[in-house]
Amino acid sequence: MQNAGMNIEDKGGDKLVLHVGPQHPGSGHFRLIITVDGDYIVGAKPDPGYVHRGAEKMAEYRDYIQNIPHLERPVIIDATGVTLPYVLAAEKIIDVEAPERAQYIRMIMAELNRVISHLYWLGIYGIFLGHSTMFMWPMGDRELFIDLAESIGGTRVTFSYVVPGGVRNDMPTHFKERALKTFDYFEKRIEEYKKIFFNNPIMTARTESIGIMSQADAIKLGITGSNLRAAGIDSDTRKDEPYCLYDRVDFEIPTRKEGDSYARCIVRLEELQQSMNIIKQVLDLIEPGPIKQVIGGVMRGEPGEAFVRTEAARGTMFYHIVSNGEKYPYRVKISVPSFRNLIGMTHLLVGSKLADMPAIYWSLDYWPVEADR
Amino acid sequence: MVNDPTLNLLVGKISDILDTTIEKNVREPIRFLVNWGRLYSLWPVHLETACCSIEFGAASGPRHDIERFGMLEAFGSLRQCDVLVVQGTVTRKMAPRMKWVYEQMPEPKWVIAMGACAISGGLYMDSYNVLQGVDKIVPVDVYIPGCPPRPETLIQGIIELQNKIRKSKV
Repeated sequence: MQNAGMNIEDKGGDKLVLHVGPQHPGSGHFRLIITVDGDYIVGAKPDPGYVHRGAEKMAEYRDYIQNIPHLERPVIIDATGVTLPYVLAAEKIIDVEAPERAQYIRMIMAELNRVISHLYWLGIYGIFLGHSTMFMWPMGDRELFIDLAESIGGTRVTFSYVVPGGVRNDMPTHFKERALKTFDYFEKRIEEYKKIFFNNPIMTARTESIGIMSQADAIKLGITGSNLRAAGIDSDTRKDEPYCLYDRVDFEIPTRKEGDSYARCIVRLEELQQSMNIIKQVLDLIEPGPIKQVIGGVMRGEPGEAFVRTEAARGTMFYHIVSNGEKYPYRVKISVPSFRNLIGMTHLLVGSKLADMPAIYWSLDYWPVEADR
Repeated sequence: MVNDPTLNLLVGKISDILDTTIEKNVREPIRFLVNWGRLYSLWPVHLETACCSIEFGAASGPRHDIERFGMLEAFGSLRQCDVLVVQGTVTRKMAPRMKWVYEQMPEPKWVIAMGACAISGGLYMDSYNVLQGVDKIVPVDVYIPGCPPRPETLIQGIIELQNKIRKSKV
């Protein structure tokens, strides 16, 4: 299906080049140069880099703790998801280990951030498909999760909460009651989301069999995260290479075989439930104790390298830190899932109809700021 | 006849009287009416320059609901927009595009610099690819501090802009 329009080039006819973005409702902070032949897209060339702020270079002249705030800005909706792998890698370099309670709180924050990020994605996807209610509902429910995260982290989105050696401060009392109350409410809302959006014939008509990514393509293009799971591969870094204490909790990896836009949506919706299940289990497992291993003086690592891979909201987030024993890291390489989603997007767009572009584009959850770093 | 000084004096007097009358009775109500019309239908351009767009989106959401203050959602064509909200960091690649967007907007137009990066470069002040403050390329009316500003702060900034419009001349 996805290659149905591939032969359109042979048919001849006038081709038109369209520039989508950077000023365009929904295009975000990047430009897409599309060649169309009639209704079909015959060429898609991305032009990213509008938000390239040099995070990797900046990490070379900031010390390990100063790096955290600017490294979380690229993925502001998933602030813990992007700083957690950095902190885990820095801990390997500095040679400290966070106490058990801190590991659990990190898991709570990571999962809360996953929910916040997915709900933002869902709201914008509603707008992309012209469904205003689906913008308002997730945006409203997202605020409840932001409140929960704010009660732990202190700010709405940029927490800078996870630091080498543990977490910045302890959870508030009565967090468990508040969290369970929110989850009870939100579990009912998920059913309503399904009624109004996911089982809506207009939505299914616009997303089913649109932008099909086959298993082989997904592997070849290096797609990670929910997009990979929607293509039928149950790969999740939380299960494959457990970090923090993910091996102690029990959760499922939602997968779909279809690999189309609808599968990518429904996988994310099911991940919301799984994230809440993880937090519930962690809240039962967590015990009082220290939250931080205090590091005296300036953090200074041994010469060496550290690789850490975690599962952020959009997929696998990978950090490679090289240290030469100085106060500052020698090199920080960030490999983000969004950049691979961009590669996947150009692959999916070629051969599809122009009208399907919004449905394909945002179903991949491509976040330009993250891709540009 | 034309050079008659008495007549010149008379004409001068009449134009003075007319000026004050028009200022009081015609221009003032028109100014009030025009500014009132502009105040509560601010269309922002949908130009996301960086991560502050998340909080802009949250401000349009149901909890904060920026529309009740007369700031519409960030949709619509550039040609009918009158507010450019610079949502965060402006990089070297984005800066010329943003200037084009500003130049294409019809008068009257206002600019809000949202976030520390748009004000002065913020957290990215020593980055090689970031503009140190957006006021170097577009004239800014209201600065909203924060990294990112909370939606409440954004709403306050918009109210400040409305106060500015209320006092502006036509």
